[in-house]
Formats: sequence, structure tokens, C-alpha cells
Amino acid sequence: MSQQAISNRHGEQDLIGRLKEAQAKFGHVSEEVMAELARSLDIPINDVYGVASFYSFLSTQPLGRNIIRICQSLPCYLKYGQTIMESVAQEIGIIPGETTADGKFSFQLTNCIGLCDRAPAMMINYDSHVDLTPKKIAQILGTYK
Amino acid sequence: MVANGKEIDPVGRQICSPMPACRINLLVLPFQVIAVPIKQSMARKEIENEITLTMNGSPVSGRAGMTILEVARENGIDIPTLCHVSRLPPSGVCRLCVVEVAGSRTLVGACHTPITEGMMVATHSPKILAARKILVELLMASHPDSCLICDKANICELRNIAADLEIGLPRFRARKHYYPLEYENPNIIRDMSKCILCRRCVVACQDLKGERLFSVAYRGFESKVVSGCDQPVDKEACQDCDECITLCPSGALRRPRRPGEERAKKALFIKG
Repeated sequence: MSQQAISNRHGEQDLIGRLKEAQAKFGHVSEEVMAELARSLDIPINDVYGVASFYSFLSTQPLGRNIIRICQSLPCYLKYGQTIMESVAQEIGIIPGETTADGKFSFQLTNCIGLCDRAPAMMINYDSHVDLTPKKIAQILGTYK
Repeated sequence: MVANGKEIDPVGRQICSPMPACRINLLVLPFQVIAVPIKQSMARKEIENEITLTMNGSPVSGRAGMTILEVARENGIDIPTLCHVSRLPPSGVCRLCVVEVAGSRTLVGACHTPITEGMMVATHSPKILAARKILVELLMASHPDSCLICDKANICELRNIAADLEIGLPRFRARKHYYPLEYENPNIIRDMSKCILCRRCVVACQDLKGERLFSVAYRGFESKVVSGCDQPVDKEACQDCDECITLCPSGALRRPRRPGEERAKKALFIKG
């Protein structure tokens, strides 16, 4: 019985790799890309959408040039991660889940990024910023264009 | 205890049965107990690869490859399920069929756990009943309170099980889903706020029709069964087959009711 359940999913091999590739190339995984992937892997488009919408590092909506991801897990919360979120929101004028009008920043909350030893932490694109204080935010954000 | 040459029990009454009879019984009984079961079980094992296990204290048997749920149902033990369909592969997501297996750290899902020789299973212990009750209570807590006007109210499996497990008024305050009704397709109406994510429609569409129109998307509380890129069900691909609608345990999927058509089945009577 369980073998049957697994063998149905063989066609989806390397779907995540291809989605990551599309994300790196286009900044988001558009509907056209998902349709193309579904056709080439011979799987329904809803399966591709299911995977793409599950992972927080894959986006089905267009994003800004720089993506700010602030950790919302417990260790960062205990080290006043909320104040970091607030000061970032104040600095760029948007709330989590939004993109600035000039397309410079997208602001997202993420689950643990494995930097708990130096909490509170955030990631901008793929650079990690640790031991954050509200004072550091403006200077960090200034280095991104 | 012996008093005045006669045997009496500690309270002082004389024991009626004479000693020789007792001795015979003691000698004969062990032979009967050991000899009979061995002969029977060996004869059975020659027929097919049979597995014997203990369910709720009584010995039951099944064939290799059967699940605990299948053996239980064969022996008339009712384990409630919401996601399991006997002709489809088990997905084990509703967790309602959990049972206690001796030696297992956690409760195991009966619908996807194969039986093993000498397994000790309890299907209705207080621990399991409590776990099942909380599972259904949580499902009901985030389910919209629209049973009175729901088309499937009288044939709703969720409501039936909630009544069976005697779930009263909700104890938990859970968030509810509010999704717009999807009625664009003439063959199916989807109300995803009533969906309990049992994945029966996902598996049914794939295994019974080979269409694969549904998948689960998003994560955690936002999880939702979607079609396409979270779009209405494709009119071309979804043709009047009704497989998922008949399997849906809640009112999430239904067929558009034609004028003059009545509600399905008689009103469901709730216990208590």
C-alpha cells in the first residue's frame, strides 16, 4: 500500500531544484514558469504550485530586488526580535509581506534560519545579519541598493 | 486450611469439592490448554501466511500485508476514520484511527500500520478515546457553524463522528478559514472553508480518474486543496464524475443542486 503511494511521486524528482533555478533567474516563480515545468516533468500544474507555495524561499509573486527575512522563531523573539521587525518596518515604510513601491525591498518573516546563537537575526538576500539592535538597522539597510 | 480433619476456606466454610477431583482437574487442564491451540494455529498457518495478534485482549488473526484497521474491521471493531477509503492507498492524515500498540512510543495510525506477529493493540483505551475526541473537537472548532444550511449536513461524516464521540459545544477557540465559494464549474461547488484537509479528493482524482486536478498547497494553517494555481476547477478537465464529491467527508465539495432536487437523505439525529 505505501509503495503505491511513493511510486506515484517519482515524476516530481528534481522539481525543487528546477523551481530554485527559476527563482534565482527571474526573482519569482511565475505561472508561465510553473506551467512550463509541469509540461516538461509531466506532472499537473497544481502539484508544481503546491510545492512552490509551500517553501518560503520560493515566491509565486514578483518580489523586490532585495528580500529582507526576519526570523520570527522563539530564540529571536526572546531576544526582542519584535523591535527589529518594527524598526525595519519603520525604516522602509512597509509591513511584513509587502514590497516597497520602488521595488527595492521585500519584507518577509521567516521561521528559524539557524542563527539562534546570535539572535536576533535576519537575512537580506543570502547575507545573514546577527546580533541586531534597532540602531544597526538603518546602517545595514543603507548598504543595499 | 484444615480444621477437625475437614478442609475449610479461611472464612470457615467447608469446601464442597473433594480433593481427588481437584487433583484430576489440575493434571488434565494443562494438557488441554497447551495441546489444542497449537494444533489449530499450525493448521491455519499452512493455509496462508497468517499473522496472529491481540486486539483489545482477544486474539485475532490476519494475513501478511493487512493493516491494523483492516483486521479490526474484519473482526467487527469500529475504528472511526475521516481520510481512509478502503479502495484507495492510505494517506494517514486525519489521525482519527490512532491505536495504542504495546512497545510503541506514540499512538500509531491504524490505517497505514501493517500488522506484525504478536502485536498487542488497544483500539478503545481511555487514552485513545481522549486523543480522538480532541482531534474531532479541534476539527469542529475551526469548522464553520453552518451545519443548519449545509447541503451535506445529513450525510456529513465529520458531523456523524462528532455526534458519535459526543463532542459537545466547542471548548477551543480556533481561527476559522474564510474562503470564497468556488461555483464557476457547473459540476462541482467547492467551499474550502469547510475543508478538513483529509486529501480524499486529491487521492480520488488521481487514483480513480487519473486526472490529478487537486493538490495541497501552502503551509500550516494556510494549507488548502487547490486546483491549478489556486484557480477554479477547470471546466474542461473536471467532467461530471462525482468521485470526489461522494468521498468528501464534509460539506466542502458538493454538486450544484438542480431546481426541485431535494436534500440528500433524512435529517441526521444527534445523540444526547
